[in-house]
Amino acid sequence: MSATPQSALLLQKQLKELNKNPVNGFSAGLIDDNDIYKWEVLIIGPPDTLYEGGFFKAHLYFPVDYPLRPPKMKFVSEIWHPNIDKNGDVCISILHEPGDDKYGYEKAEERWLPVHTVETILLSVISMLADPNYESPANVDAAKEWRENQAEFKKRVARCVRKSQESL
Amino acid sequence: MENSENKTEQTTEPTNAMAENTSNQTENEAKAAECEPMVQSPAPATTDDETKDSNLINLTVKTPKEKENVSLKPDATIKDLRDEVAKKFSKPSEQLCLIFAGKILKDSDTLAQHGIKDTFTVHLVIKSKPSQSVPQTATPNQSADQTTPISTTNTANSSSSSSQQSAPNPMNNLFNLPLGGSDFFSGLGSMGLGNSNFAELQSQMQQQVMSNPNLMRQMLDNPMVQSLMSNPDVIRELMMSNPQMQSLIERNPEIQHMLNNPSLLRETMEIARNPAALQELMRNHDRALSNLESVPGGFNALQRIYREIEEPMLNATMNQNPFAALQNNNLGTSTENRQAGQENTQPLPNPWGPRQDQSNTTTNQTTATSATSTTTSSSNTSSTTPSSNASNMNNIFSQLLGSGSSNGAGLPGSNTMQDYAQQILQNPRQMEQMLGTPYMQSILQMMSTNPELSRTIVENSPQLASNPELRDQMLRSLPNMVQQLQNPEMRSLLSNPDALQAIMQIQQGMQRLQSTAPSLNLLSGLGFPLSGSAPSSNTSSTQPNAQQTNNSQTSTTTSTNPPSNYFSQMLNMMANNTLNQPPEQRFAAQLEQLANMGFINREANIQALTATMGDVNAAIDRLLSQQSQL
Repeated sequence: MSATPQSALLLQKQLKELNKNPVNGFSAGLIDDNDIYKWEVLIIGPPDTLYEGGFFKAHLYFPVDYPLRPPKMKFVSEIWHPNIDKNGDVCISILHEPGDDKYGYEKAEERWLPVHTVETILLSVISMLADPNYESPANVDAAKEWRENQAEFKKRVARCVRKSQESL
Repeated sequence: MENSENKTEQTTEPTNAMAENTSNQTENEAKAAECEPMVQSPAPATTDDETKDSNLINLTVKTPKEKENVSLKPDATIKDLRDEVAKKFSKPSEQLCLIFAGKILKDSDTLAQHGIKDTFTVHLVIKSKPSQSVPQTATPNQSADQTTPISTTNTANSSSSSSQQSAPNPMNNLFNLPLGGSDFFSGLGSMGLGNSNFAELQSQMQQQVMSNPNLMRQMLDNPMVQSLMSNPDVIRELMMSNPQMQSLIERNPEIQHMLNNPSLLRETMEIARNPAALQELMRNHDRALSNLESVPGGFNALQRIYREIEEPMLNATMNQNPFAALQNNNLGTSTENRQAGQENTQPLPNPWGPRQDQSNTTTNQTTATSATSTTTSSSNTSSTTPSSNASNMNNIFSQLLGSGSSNGAGLPGSNTMQDYAQQILQNPRQMEQMLGTPYMQSILQMMSTNPELSRTIVENSPQLASNPELRDQMLRSLPNMVQQLQNPEMRSLLSNPDALQAIMQIQQGMQRLQSTAPSLNLLSGLGFPLSGSAPSSNTSSTQPNAQQTNNSQTSTTTSTNPPSNYFSQMLNMMANNTLNQPPEQRFAAQLEQLANMGFINREANIQALTATMGDVNAAIDRLLSQQSQL
């Protein structure tokens, strides 16, 4: 056990806590029970958003030096959102490597901080679903569509929601 | 899916309050759950140890709102869990969706497979009924958004087509040309104004105006309309403010050129103003068509034109298909064209006659439409384009100015103010709709963005010149008034018959009071201006003002109150003012823009800008094409 890095312990603790007292809006577990660094989460489309009714699967990949560095998050389910690129990679500031932004765009405190847990990350992602950040889109087409053609954007999201329901 | 449950069970309640409640509740329950295994498992009369370890595991199943405890054997399957949960939540088990550790639990699995142990919590989502789950939960916003415009379009179409049947008037058909009629209305529909009421009103109005060509002419002869129409800028602005129009232009750049061609627009206005010319034009056109039809194969040719040229254009106008009615119409008639193959020996039909051969009018539409889409330069087709345009304009203005006339009370301009107010009382929606149209909005916008303009108007007004006090007050209240007119609250007020009645009563009372006791000046302190006298500059005084000025839009000449007259003058001036300025001044900004882009020939720039009415893009097009010609 002494060989177990701190990160694994921390993640195990979080997993246990989430299994016992899950947080509304998502459910988290491991992809493979033997690998604590790879998580599987199911995000329940937040009510009163376009994503309502959908079940979006996403994976979290933690580095061994977690919590010093952020995990990567990737949606496995198809999802159409300005801050999620077409491969499903989530682009939010709190998942960006810590420190100052070389472009001076984000402040250090908006980026990764070791205090973040699976829960805080997912709550951020859920709020991102409800309220996209159009200023730094990861999916430029989605952002453009959101700005210029809301109807089409809604249609696309609805398609994703339907797909996610069918995959249940 | 948690949402789906939210949807079905708490549709009416304010979610915030509920969310608080539930979070409190869950907290309490969470605390309860912590001590549960020890305290609360006496049900099977065994020892606590056994309950915990082997016999039963206690799970918490939670939805966003509720939380239930379920006890199961450790070797239970998910099916067992689901059945148990279904009992607890009294929902059919097929509607339940159990989620644990990021996975949706399948019936065939066991609790052990998922590592679900005692005291764990499982997420539950209750779906709405399977068949409806998609439309109800997944796309509530979207489906609403999609269906409303379409249905309004349909109603607009159907009502206009029904008006075609009831009053087979060629002008009506004209209005259904691609740029006119229903297209416009569906555009309005998509602006959120669309409801069956609106469509009804529109078609009613259309019918009124159309069944009385005189009315239209007089409307167009109305000095205000004329001055507005003589300014192609205003017209372009109006047309561009229609979202439908915008998308049409985006897809069909030719139309933009049409709009950028001031002479064409002016010509259009001219023709529209001259009923004889319009009539002649249409008659000729109809005649030519019916002759063409009677040539063997001619009808087929026309049909082909329709198929090959118009239909692609139809598709281009997105799913809000303004021609749906027209198409059906055509299908019906194409099979029974009585004239096909025969020489046309009938006398010149009177297109204004009460009865009209259906196929004739339909093909009229058809070719006129295709003429627009191709914008060929043969004299016949190009002349139909302006006419369709013209009717389009009429439409706008009948909407903009003539909503009073739709009640059949006669011409705008022949109504007294009181009459008009009464009409509004009869149909309060009219006012709201009128103010809500994009055209009206854009006029107001123009006024509010250019306070200088309205200022000059007020200062130049002869009526106000003699009364500097009133003029000052006018100037002060002007921005307010414009703002008020744009205010949705104000609009809803104007659409409230009770409120209007009250305002009218107050005004009448004031007038009476003023005539009986002219020296009584303290009333002005109440904020209601006495017409003609020097009123206070209270902001609330803009309310009756606004009321009056609205009237003045429809009945420009009648009202005796300076406030209302002044508004129409303002519009007049607005229309004329820009034209009177020298182009250098008028297009100063655009000239600078062009100069910055490297067009250094100032003379040519001015010329191009004048020709394009200040549209920089069009001016550049023009300049470039001139250069390439040299």
